[in-house]
Amino acid sequence: MRTGTPAWRIVRCSAANAAADLRATYTWRTWLFGWLLRMLCQVVFFTLAGRTFSGAGHQRFLFLGNALTLCAIESMMVVASSAWERRAGTLPLLVAAPADVSWIFVGRSLQWLPSGCATSLAALLGLGPFFGVDWSPATAAVAAVLVAASAVGTYCFGLLLAALVLGASSWRNVASNVAYLGMMAVCGVEVPVGFWPLPVRVLAWSMPLTHELDALRALVDGGGAASVAPQALLGLAVGAAWLAGAVALLRAMADRGRRDGSIAFAI
Amino acid sequence: MRPPGAPRAVRDARAAAAAFRVQLLLVRRSVGDLRVLFTVPLYALIFLAIAAVSGDRSLTAYAVLAPGLIALWSMMLFAAGDLITQDRSAGRLEAVVAAPVPLFTVVAARLAAVAAVSLISLAEAWAVARWVFGLRVPLVHPMAFGVGLLATAFAMTGTATAMACAFVLSRSARIFQNSLSYPVYLLGGVLMPVSALPGWLRPASRLVFLTWSGGLLRDSLATPAVADLPGRLLALTALGLAGFAAGGWLMRRILTRVRAAGTLGLA
Repeated sequence: MRTGTPAWRIVRCSAANAAADLRATYTWRTWLFGWLLRMLCQVVFFTLAGRTFSGAGHQRFLFLGNALTLCAIESMMVVASSAWERRAGTLPLLVAAPADVSWIFVGRSLQWLPSGCATSLAALLGLGPFFGVDWSPATAAVAAVLVAASAVGTYCFGLLLAALVLGASSWRNVASNVAYLGMMAVCGVEVPVGFWPLPVRVLAWSMPLTHELDALRALVDGGGAASVAPQALLGLAVGAAWLAGAVALLRAMADRGRRDGSIAFAI
Repeated sequence: MRPPGAPRAVRDARAAAAAFRVQLLLVRRSVGDLRVLFTVPLYALIFLAIAAVSGDRSLTAYAVLAPGLIALWSMMLFAAGDLITQDRSAGRLEAVVAAPVPLFTVVAARLAAVAAVSLISLAEAWAVARWVFGLRVPLVHPMAFGVGLLATAFAMTGTATAMACAFVLSRSARIFQNSLSYPVYLLGGVLMPVSALPGWLRPASRLVFLTWSGGLLRDSLATPAVADLPGRLLALTALGLAGFAAGGWLMRRILTRVRAAGTLGLA
């Protein structure tokens, strides 16, 4: 059942729940000295590996890829936090509520976006100068927009994955971990997309991260708006396509659950 | 209380064997516990791709061993955090503590089972090198590799036992589990030699057993004879024993405290 409640109101209420979740997960100390430190170490780990393996030439490539990927990793947590609703026993209530369940899930995990963007930006701006990437106020501002676009686009993809995993919630962490590591492997984060055979490249192009990363590299290489904006917009368009798929799938999941009474059952 | 006729050491050994078997059965049935093994091929893909781009085939050993060490640490970290918490929430903890066999023995044996399972990851990484990249990674010094692997599993079990006890005291083990990954991989030279780290960090890396494991296992895949094998095995054994000693001390303190306060079953 779907009522005429505007989607933005449903998302806003659900996002308030998401914000409460974030506050319950972290204090500012555990976020700063636990989570952020771990994520920065991840960037340094892969960047130093590149320096060891390939010399300084590959270092900047790896730094940019891994720093931007941090926000994608956090966005993929939408898979796990969506599944929490089933494990908490609240999914049947959400499906029974008059609001459209798909928009509830769109807002449900938004807490990962600001956290992911802050993590990525801290890595890009804070560690960049150590790995040969310097920022002006203008390029830093554009980089912030690209980070936000990467986080949002990947969140939309993750939402579709969340809809698929909702019926098998024990697979939630496997799905999100495999998805973000898969992105790290093929989306041009560690090696250029051209390294992989054509079918893998096609898969990479279907990920928002690939396009946003191209835009970020163009920005850092001194490219103007003509080279940055098309890639950034392409990434957002791909994300929008994933969002449309996710909304349709979540509605189908709720409809099927109502029909066969399987809402509360998961593997 | 001691069962009649069974010497204490024999009784504890039997209980440890039973705990080992139980943990193997639990892990086999839990997708969540095995999730790290799903990610290993992707880590191998990433590291081998970086090595392939570098064009230096001598780095293949680094790329093949790193996913195995990451899987070992990661699986043990999560097992250490979840083991006592899960027993507590399932209502088993009081019964295990009340049994004549020390809780420390049961926990260590169960963690040893997880360490054994995690070694499957090395085979996965080898398979990716062989079947995806067409690379053969021969065991040049199989004896050194075998004893190095056993010593690594021992040191990991000791470290994880200490962590399991420390996590009991924390409000949320999950934050520590998420935070103790890449900082340790970086410090332990999992993917690149410790010499790539800044000089002031290198003494600290000597206290991380992964530093010794990674160096020893990599050297056992290289043509030159493995240097100072006894000394490196001794270092791994000593770090493992230090973990067991810390775990045993912490466990006694915690049990004394919760018994006195009557809070064993409370999170």
